[in-house]
Amino acid sequence: MQAHQPADTETHSQSSLPTERKVIGDRGDFFLKRVQGEAGVNVTACYQCERCTNACPASAFMDIKPHQVIRYVQLGWREELMHSTTIWVCLSCEMCTTYCPNMVDVAETINYLRNMAAHSAIVPRERHLAVFHQTFLEQLHKFGRVNEFWLMNAFNLKPDILKEKIQSGALREELLLGLALIKKGKLNFIPRRSRAIRQIDEIYRRRRGDIV
Amino acid sequence: MTRVSYYPGCSLEGMANDYARSIEAVFEDLGITLVEIEDWSCCGSTAAHSLSEMMSVALPARNLAAAEKLGLDIVSPCAMCFNRLRFSQNMLQKGLFDVPWTVSGDLRVHDMTRFLAEPDMLRKIQKRIIRPLKGLRLVCYYGCQMVRPPKITGYRDYENPQTLDRLTRAVGADVIDWSYKATCCGASIGIGRKDIQTTLTERILLKAVQTGAEAVVVACALCQSNLDIFQHNHPEIALPVFYFTELLRLAFAAETKARWFKKHFVDPVPLLARKGLIV
Repeated sequence: MQAHQPADTETHSQSSLPTERKVIGDRGDFFLKRVQGEAGVNVTACYQCERCTNACPASAFMDIKPHQVIRYVQLGWREELMHSTTIWVCLSCEMCTTYCPNMVDVAETINYLRNMAAHSAIVPRERHLAVFHQTFLEQLHKFGRVNEFWLMNAFNLKPDILKEKIQSGALREELLLGLALIKKGKLNFIPRRSRAIRQIDEIYRRRRGDIV
Repeated sequence: MTRVSYYPGCSLEGMANDYARSIEAVFEDLGITLVEIEDWSCCGSTAAHSLSEMMSVALPARNLAAAEKLGLDIVSPCAMCFNRLRFSQNMLQKGLFDVPWTVSGDLRVHDMTRFLAEPDMLRKIQKRIIRPLKGLRLVCYYGCQMVRPPKITGYRDYENPQTLDRLTRAVGADVIDWSYKATCCGASIGIGRKDIQTTLTERILLKAVQTGAEAVVVACALCQSNLDIFQHNHPEIALPVFYFTELLRLAFAAETKARWFKKHFVDPVPLLARKGLIV
């Protein structure tokens, strides 16, 4: 199932986290209040009916299920969430949010946690997915638009990505697909640029916290 | 003559250039002018909202501001672009973010299916039909970003959306009801976790086969490529995946060949020839 995962991700797994801390009520409500305030989600309204998890198309691939994410936030178990696959596997398809009977925005909570993990020192459990998002934003910065061919090339040139893809055999598959796409005339080798590149650069500088 | 501002999105310049071409043809047929937003830039897609919420508001906001200068409502063919534009507009209206451009939020952002499925547009479409697509059994697949979350997209029938159904029915096809209309196809997760994407895509395709459909109709570039490319490795399913505009164009056009069908992995020509729609 985890064919594309490097072997060393085990060191970041849930089991390496201290277990003695898993006592209900020992973390206070600092994290809960933060998520509720920043993400604007009424996390405390959850009564664990598990409708989000049942609606989620990807819950089988998650280590902490969507309803558990909400419970973990209530309990303040932040580290477990930051180390989970859930925050990266989530597709943001918004099934959970749409079907929650208490209008808890589960997808927004997971997205907020993903934002938080992206800005933390923790190595993401799904490194390929996280690096892909990063590469996407870099390409956007460069051209103002995103070109599939250049995006995949830039992604493959990121540290260790190519090596891991060769090891798992994913690269061969990708090259074959690339060839098929070229034959169909679906790939554009010359990236189109947006002329608004300076304005886009300004957004990126603001993101870094520069005073523009 | 109706004029709308058009935000094509990055996919339509690359993998979905067939979608782009069929859209241009259909809108020309309907006499609607698409005014491409000047210097439009990428909406940031999943990457922006995953890594920084501020970026996911600021990137689409630039395009919203450019469209407001034109003063024309936005039509977006891409489900994700539509969702992100609406999201950005929503956050700015709530006053939660500051962007360097003035965005009043007065413009309406339409997804292309809902724009064309309005009653007067449907009447216009019906008038243009030369070749009704009789006997073509289809299922409509909406994907997630176009309909959810309802408070952003404005869909009231998010459990059983109807826009694509109305459009394909208007051109004479037999539309079958099914239960996987708005289930996620896996989106871009295949880049890092192929296993998840194939599981989700396969589930949708097998359900479509089980329903008795002969083809799937979509309105999203990524849904199309996921459903189509999956069958590149599983040719036994053989379910053509059409953009809805390709079907509209097929019903409108006098000539009987469509160049962009060659771009599909599952060749729809044998099916269309069997139905007598293409010679």
